[in-house]
Amino acid sequence: MARALSRALALAALGALAAGCVATGGGTRAPGAGDMMVVANRPNNLHLVDLGAQRVERSCALPGPPTPGVLTLSPDNSVAYIIGGGMGEIWGVRLADCALVFSATQTQGNERVRTLGGITVSTDGKQLFIYQAPVKLFVDHYEVQDTRIAVYDTSAGTHALPARTLPAPRQVTIMKTGADGTLYLGGPDIVAMNPETGATRVALESRDRKSTGFGPRDVLTVWNIGESSGEFVRMYSALRWKPGAEGDLAQGEPVWGYEKVDLASGKASEAVLGPLEVTLFTGMTRPGRPDQFYATLTQLQRFDVPNARLDRSVDLEHSYYAIDFGTDGSTLYLTGTFNDIAIYDADSMTKLGNIVLPGGDMATGVPKIFRRR
Amino acid sequence: MKHLKPLNGKAAQTEAAARAGKLEEVVAMQTVAGCTATTDPGWEVDAFGGVGGLCQPMEADLYGCADPCWWPAQVPDVANSYPDWTKGADSAGRDWRKLGPTFPEEK
Repeated sequence: MARALSRALALAALGALAAGCVATGGGTRAPGAGDMMVVANRPNNLHLVDLGAQRVERSCALPGPPTPGVLTLSPDNSVAYIIGGGMGEIWGVRLADCALVFSATQTQGNERVRTLGGITVSTDGKQLFIYQAPVKLFVDHYEVQDTRIAVYDTSAGTHALPARTLPAPRQVTIMKTGADGTLYLGGPDIVAMNPETGATRVALESRDRKSTGFGPRDVLTVWNIGESSGEFVRMYSALRWKPGAEGDLAQGEPVWGYEKVDLASGKASEAVLGPLEVTLFTGMTRPGRPDQFYATLTQLQRFDVPNARLDRSVDLEHSYYAIDFGTDGSTLYLTGTFNDIAIYDADSMTKLGNIVLPGGDMATGVPKIFRRR
Repeated sequence: MKHLKPLNGKAAQTEAAARAGKLEEVVAMQTVAGCTATTDPGWEVDAFGGVGGLCQPMEADLYGCADPCWWPAQVPDVANSYPDWTKGADSAGRDWRKLGPTFPEEK
């Protein structure tokens, strides 16, 4: 089955190369022209993908496995910082020549440190922020330590140690940096942190909110997507109570919603998207179209945000964890799980092709897309 | 927790932590000390009690759940105890036959 799938994907990719173009305000051009994607997969690959040409331009060898493969880019998109080595290592790779320009082994001494997806860079590119969950290993017991944000100097080179640490709330999984330098921490709630002082405030209540008319929210926060639409974003699911039957699980209507922070303004917002008919892992606003929200897992779905309804749903060839858009919002890319990138036209939601990455599974690896200058 | 009765020592400690208002410390273990404290049931059923909401095919979800210790009971702890469990099996869909059982090493 796997061989047949690979053959089908290869044929689809060839077809896409000869396939149509998208109309733009300035004429007609290939989907994704000028856009680049950085994404990692097994066994130790970090790929720079030319989305316009639908081909892998460069493959860099990481020092170890890209697990979990959550990454972020420097502000000038020249260096990719990635969590690898089973959540224990941080590597910075210069995309122009694959040079390892930064590395940090988080575990030191008897303190074992893991990071699931909390990685982001300061707006000036000088500081790398890593959310750390440490535990001290003793002969007869473990001691869970306080969680923290380790601040690394990005010029520290290899074998870097944190320049300083900041106390941070527990259970944070992903982070992003706002335009004013604020760190946004995705955990039970979305917390905003001043990285200079360490001061925190709740930017958006989620687990701790007291919703009228809804049950508690469930949020899966592993993928730090949303750069192309300038947002820190995650989906939630909840039961909407039937009027007069609050708390009645059997009569509650499952719905999807989003929680997000505009990275430019810092404004937090949330809304019900529509009915929960299928499981979805990631979703985001289409760039330039705040009225459209797309999400993926085994289906690709588009929600009509102002009317809180499901606009369209298409079945996918297999599950894809992560969604992202090209910089102009006309094309979307599905990644994660296996080793192919699925390309879809955002308007018609028809498939344009696949880019098959050399190597194995992306698994939880999160791509980043930027426009090459 | 009034309808649940702890069956072992760990469960009793969890109940005690809840009474003491320290349950958060127990929950947070899921990304701190490895796989064994996560309680996600794994790939058996989806949120609706069926299988339609699970990843398709199952192999698409295998490493994505094993790497972050999402499935503690079904796969080895690849973040701590068995980091090389998937070595040489880079594609779960193609190489799943290479994934074998693991056993604790003798000290």
